[in-house]
Amino acid sequence: MSMDRPSRRELLCGSLLAALLGASASDSLASLKHIVIDPDTSNGAQNALVVLFLRGGADGLNIIAPYGDEDYYRLRPTLGLAAPTSRKGPDHSRLMDLDGFFGMHPAMRPLLPFYQGGSFLPIHAVGSNDHTLSHFQAMAAMERGLPEDTGDIASGWLARYLNASSSANDSPLRAVALSDTLPDSLRGSAGAVALTRLSRFELEAPTGTGGTRHHTGVRAEAMAQTLQTLYCQRMTISSHRTEDLSAVSDATLRAMKAVQRLDPDHYRPATGVDYPSSGLSLAMKQAACMVKGEVGLEVACINVEGWDTHVAQGSDTGWQASRLTDLAGSLAAFFNDLGNAGQRVTVLIMTEFGRRAYENTGLGTDHGRASVMMLLGGGVRGGRVLTKWPGLAAHQLVGPGNLHVTTDYRNVLAEVLVNRMRVQNVGHLFPGLVPTPVGAMRTVNPAAIA
Amino acid sequence: METESNDSRKHQLASGITAAVLVGAISGCGIRRRLESLDSTQKIVWMPPPSDPNIVRVVNRVSFGPWPGDLHDAACKGVGGYLEEQLGAELPEDSAVKWRVDGLDVQQDVQDSPDVLSSLPDDQLLTEVQQVQLLRAVYSTNQLAEVMSDFWENHFNIYALKNAARQRIPVEMETAIRPNILGSFENMLLAVAHSPAMLAYLDNNHNQAGTFQRVNENYARELLELHTLGVHSGYSQVDIHQVARCLTGWTVSGGFKQWQFEFDPSWHDDGTKFIPFLNLHLESNGGVHDGEAVLHRLAHHPATATHLAQQLCMKFLGIAHPEVVESASRAYLRSNTSIKEMLRPILLDGLTRGDRCAPVFKRPLDLLVSSLRVGAADSDCAGGVQDHLSTMGQPLFQWPMPDGYPESAAAWKSTLLPRWNFASALAGARIAGTTWKLRDCLTTASAAGGDEAVSRLAEAVCGVPASMPTMQPLVSTLRDHARAAERSGVSEVDTITEVTALLIASPIYQWK
Repeated sequence: MSMDRPSRRELLCGSLLAALLGASASDSLASLKHIVIDPDTSNGAQNALVVLFLRGGADGLNIIAPYGDEDYYRLRPTLGLAAPTSRKGPDHSRLMDLDGFFGMHPAMRPLLPFYQGGSFLPIHAVGSNDHTLSHFQAMAAMERGLPEDTGDIASGWLARYLNASSSANDSPLRAVALSDTLPDSLRGSAGAVALTRLSRFELEAPTGTGGTRHHTGVRAEAMAQTLQTLYCQRMTISSHRTEDLSAVSDATLRAMKAVQRLDPDHYRPATGVDYPSSGLSLAMKQAACMVKGEVGLEVACINVEGWDTHVAQGSDTGWQASRLTDLAGSLAAFFNDLGNAGQRVTVLIMTEFGRRAYENTGLGTDHGRASVMMLLGGGVRGGRVLTKWPGLAAHQLVGPGNLHVTTDYRNVLAEVLVNRMRVQNVGHLFPGLVPTPVGAMRTVNPAAIA
Repeated sequence: METESNDSRKHQLASGITAAVLVGAISGCGIRRRLESLDSTQKIVWMPPPSDPNIVRVVNRVSFGPWPGDLHDAACKGVGGYLEEQLGAELPEDSAVKWRVDGLDVQQDVQDSPDVLSSLPDDQLLTEVQQVQLLRAVYSTNQLAEVMSDFWENHFNIYALKNAARQRIPVEMETAIRPNILGSFENMLLAVAHSPAMLAYLDNNHNQAGTFQRVNENYARELLELHTLGVHSGYSQVDIHQVARCLTGWTVSGGFKQWQFEFDPSWHDDGTKFIPFLNLHLESNGGVHDGEAVLHRLAHHPATATHLAQQLCMKFLGIAHPEVVESASRAYLRSNTSIKEMLRPILLDGLTRGDRCAPVFKRPLDLLVSSLRVGAADSDCAGGVQDHLSTMGQPLFQWPMPDGYPESAAAWKSTLLPRWNFASALAGARIAGTTWKLRDCLTTASAAGGDEAVSRLAEAVCGVPASMPTMQPLVSTLRDHARAAERSGVSEVDTITEVTALLIASPIYQWK
């Protein structure tokens, strides 16, 4: 693993070497204990980036709808959302006007105050250069920060950022995926951990139930130390060496220790904040706990499923509306819970592609090209819809009827990193990108974009 | 002899008594297992693992992991003989396993009246569809068939939590996947295309001919990309659209027959079609034959052969060795899409050769099932183990996207902690509905703990002699752990439990 921080591996596994060379086992265990699980939280309160990936290709045209484009209702006779000025239906079924041309889906009402307050920014007609319209190709491209997936770059864009800005004092909870598996965007980052519930993130000793709490804690500690020693050992299977898992194991054990100090069992959201009951909200709540706990969280990744709306996607109500209700409700609860700490947090909401401009016979939409990307929170120049609108007329659409991509999604990612995170130059993070300012973020470091 | 060995496991399970144990003895070629008695003092007779490292690699990958005695059995038959036996998939199946599986409500309903499935509670359906897969994975004697069942289940992934999918999955598994696990891929592809579970999951039940040609492309796209040709084979959006037109009207019956396929001619696009990538012209009014012609052509396409061969090489060899991919795809095309013929070169010319294999990281399902098997577990495979599978990240039938659970180490290696906690729970006998007998590998002499106990446990779990150089760091670290534990007053029994947990949690056991 070339991405390893060598110093840590040397420290970690050097003591094993000492043991093999004849130093006593207890000496090596004592030194391991000291090195392995002492988290560094000195930089606990820095900016954090929370990345929500809407899996399946979210239909941007019905999230931030171009009601002012005359072709919108022609293409979507059934799915089209009623204009804010329309007399159709009750108020709460119509779009919320944003700028006289775009309207926000009525299910996203909880985000309206953020828009009005200037911290919510939709960016329209954003996308990659992937023309396969395959979920997996398009996701592979975006999570690796590439125009399209060519198969030759394995690391994720967030992993590259984390590795480039890594230091000896990195927090064990610097990068967390709130999911069962690590997303591609974090692949290649040895320190990233995946977890679904902080309160269950602890090692259990096998014989724990019979003993006292102190005893089981001691045994779990002993197990952890032996595991770290074992994970420093490299094996050979069928004449190939297995991948080195020592850094992952180390990251897990250090994160575990940091989580214990955080005491997630007793986390209570701010007064009056009511998270919806959903997987997304659960994940957002874990993120809030880590931000407020100042444990050094810098990157959190959350998957949001259910956007592949080929059929019965609904309009102001229905399936997509239910997803948006959850999304907007969870985000609003998250920032209300964070309070002032919310100024340190930027949420980036992305999806692999948008959907076909016209509805299909199943009253859904098939895979398309451009979609909407959304930014919320600290540093965001919101309160407007940012777009070079490509239009929905037949000659303006591409392929079988798809919204043209006018903003390269990588320029948005680059701008967020430069202005909010510890990075001086984004060029090497996005291979081949000639950065172009988008104007999504308040600029703190204009030189870095070049 | 093999029959007898199967019988013994059958009786053991049928008894439902967790204390029942197997007694093994070497007798000519192969291990002979027979039920001595239900006396709980009887132990599994432990035998040192074979010294040929090829055997453990082959058994680890062709099966979900060795049951006690399996390594000896394979060593005695020879790798070739063992592989042919597994490819044949005709070992007598354990009637007690069958009994346990068939006794589940979902299986009864599939056989008697699938319409009743919709009336089973959602939680029970979800538990039982997983239980069926797990029981077979843990206990089937035809392990390769079960490994392939899991492979196809992911290849044709269906998300149980979308709409009523969980009610339809049992029928899909029994009638579309399982009859064709090692048989004809074309037959499986056709059966899946006619299965309401797939048609509903990928929305083809809404694929209707329309004005402006606005058909639903979801199934057509994944059919080409995931099920057959592969995304880089060179087809285009035009091909997807034309295939989607061919499949208009392929839908699910209504009402109580929602587990049945139906072709609705009034929804079908009757125009002429041309699919450039397949060079397939279809005259107008082809009806249901349009889709059948497409599926036939896809199954026999060289790109499909390559795509499947690559996936199977990654699965069994950990690497898509070009020569093996080539011979596997040729064998597939020559044999009228026979899955068994495609596997033959991969297993016999690939898996048997260490230089053509790379390490394979166990997915949570692999870790769970191999651990249960290595300690001859008696498990109901219900909530207790399913909770662990879920926490480790792989609840069966619950991957939302159509590509199925990932196979790569990169996807799984960052979630070690739930694996470690599973190891602790299993060794500490804290999984509901599951007992485990790894400790029985200890002899009277080694049961008291100490270095000898550590070696025996390590050999039993890893299937490799403790004297091998690759095993020495592991064994020495665990001996240190055991000594330190005993020094701090941990009982011998608890120390052995900890060592056992550490073995299941160890890096070597995460790989195969």
